[in-house]
Amino acid sequence: MLVAWKYRPRNTFIQRLDPRTRLIFLFCVIFGVSIPEIWDYRIVLPLFLVSLTLYLMARIAWKDVKRVWTYILILVVFIVGLNALLSARGGPSSVTNIVSPVIFTVPLKIPFTQLGWDIPVTVSKIWFSFNQMFRMLTMTLLAIPIPYTIDPNIYGTAFRQMGASDKVSFTMDLAFRFLPTFARDFSITMDAQRARGYELESMEGGIFSRIRRLAPLIIPVVMQSTVTGEEVIDAMDLRAFGTNRRTWLKDLKYAPRDYLILGLGIFIFVGCCVLRWGFGVGGYFVPDFFTNLFL
Amino acid sequence: MNDKSTWEFGTRQVVYGAIGAALYGVLSWVTNIFPLPAAGNITFRPAVAVLIFFGVAYGPWVGLLAGFIGNTLGDALSGWGFYWHWSLGSGIMGLVAGLVMTQISDFRAKDQIIKAAIYGLVGIIAGMLFASLMEKVVGGIDIKTALIGYFVPATIGNVVVVGILLPVLMIAFAAVASRRGR
Repeated sequence: MLVAWKYRPRNTFIQRLDPRTRLIFLFCVIFGVSIPEIWDYRIVLPLFLVSLTLYLMARIAWKDVKRVWTYILILVVFIVGLNALLSARGGPSSVTNIVSPVIFTVPLKIPFTQLGWDIPVTVSKIWFSFNQMFRMLTMTLLAIPIPYTIDPNIYGTAFRQMGASDKVSFTMDLAFRFLPTFARDFSITMDAQRARGYELESMEGGIFSRIRRLAPLIIPVVMQSTVTGEEVIDAMDLRAFGTNRRTWLKDLKYAPRDYLILGLGIFIFVGCCVLRWGFGVGGYFVPDFFTNLFL
Repeated sequence: MNDKSTWEFGTRQVVYGAIGAALYGVLSWVTNIFPLPAAGNITFRPAVAVLIFFGVAYGPWVGLLAGFIGNTLGDALSGWGFYWHWSLGSGIMGLVAGLVMTQISDFRAKDQIIKAAIYGLVGIIAGMLFASLMEKVVGGIDIKTALIGYFVPATIGNVVVVGILLPVLMIAFAAVASRRGR
């Protein structure tokens, strides 16, 4: 049920990049798309292609990410895509304000009654749901490779050298390291409880009893983690953590390739802001060719 | 070592902040992918009970770090991207819940569990209100959608989860803590 990811050293352009570069680039794209609210396919599509190129350059084997992608595609297509199609949720209000031809209506009614709604699916909503999916995939394509391609040992250093304090950097570092451990603990606990006849998937009872049934899964992992915590604190105290400014084992230095990618990231962010606020380009609209498909 | 001052930020806070974040991240990832069925757009996120518990047990800094980093990790793992306002909203939930830490001495006592739950409730309301109102600024939705579409369902879901799981977590923790002779 849970997958623990694996970092592997690979000799690729992406992995030779400084981890700071990759995190900053990721944020440039996320902020570039979300702060000026870019919904224009002429911007979203090229960004998607940039993300896809960088993703492919990371050369992660398909078998490593197969499960992650299955979950994400289900999420993006069925949950986000359908939601966007029906309710235009998560989008700008112009999606439903634009006058747009209704293709068909989806009756959401309690069976055999007239209670409920007829939800109109417009051309605008269909176009929006495509846009929404591509926007999400653009960010996802950049985020997915991170655990596979950044050495878990340098997260702390990366945050430290981006200006975070020793303590905050160490918190990030530990959080990243504990994540796969707890994912494994959950799946072990799940198996152990199942062997004792525990049924998480059982549909019996209402939502309250279903939540209560999570306790045999959550309690052992959380309590074990509090004990682990005490051990880690002892170990860190023995090494005099927090008494003085720390030195970090690895030192990160930017190379010319990093400046290239950083430049691209800043270009994307600034470009999106300038286009949106300076020229009024990038907001939501339905292109004519798409509307014409349905007429 | 068990200095119970509310705003101390030392090794203990660093370690439990990280552990809380990792647990919150993993759990919210699981429930992002396999949502518990619910009415309307209410989502039940059991991870929130763990976050409030970490706040109550280890204080406001731990709650803030666990909520902020944990929500960021959970969103990134499920491929949502980075929604800083929801992450900060989660951080606020943990931080407010953490303000009760110094008042909790017996994790088994009924009145103290109720007190912790009340702080948790206030934290959830504060955090979710912040995130929903920021959604208005970031997502450009109107105030009615922000409150009815985001704030109310998120708050109800979180309150239900915390109401059910927080007491169980606190009682279990009392047993673990007493075994360790703390």
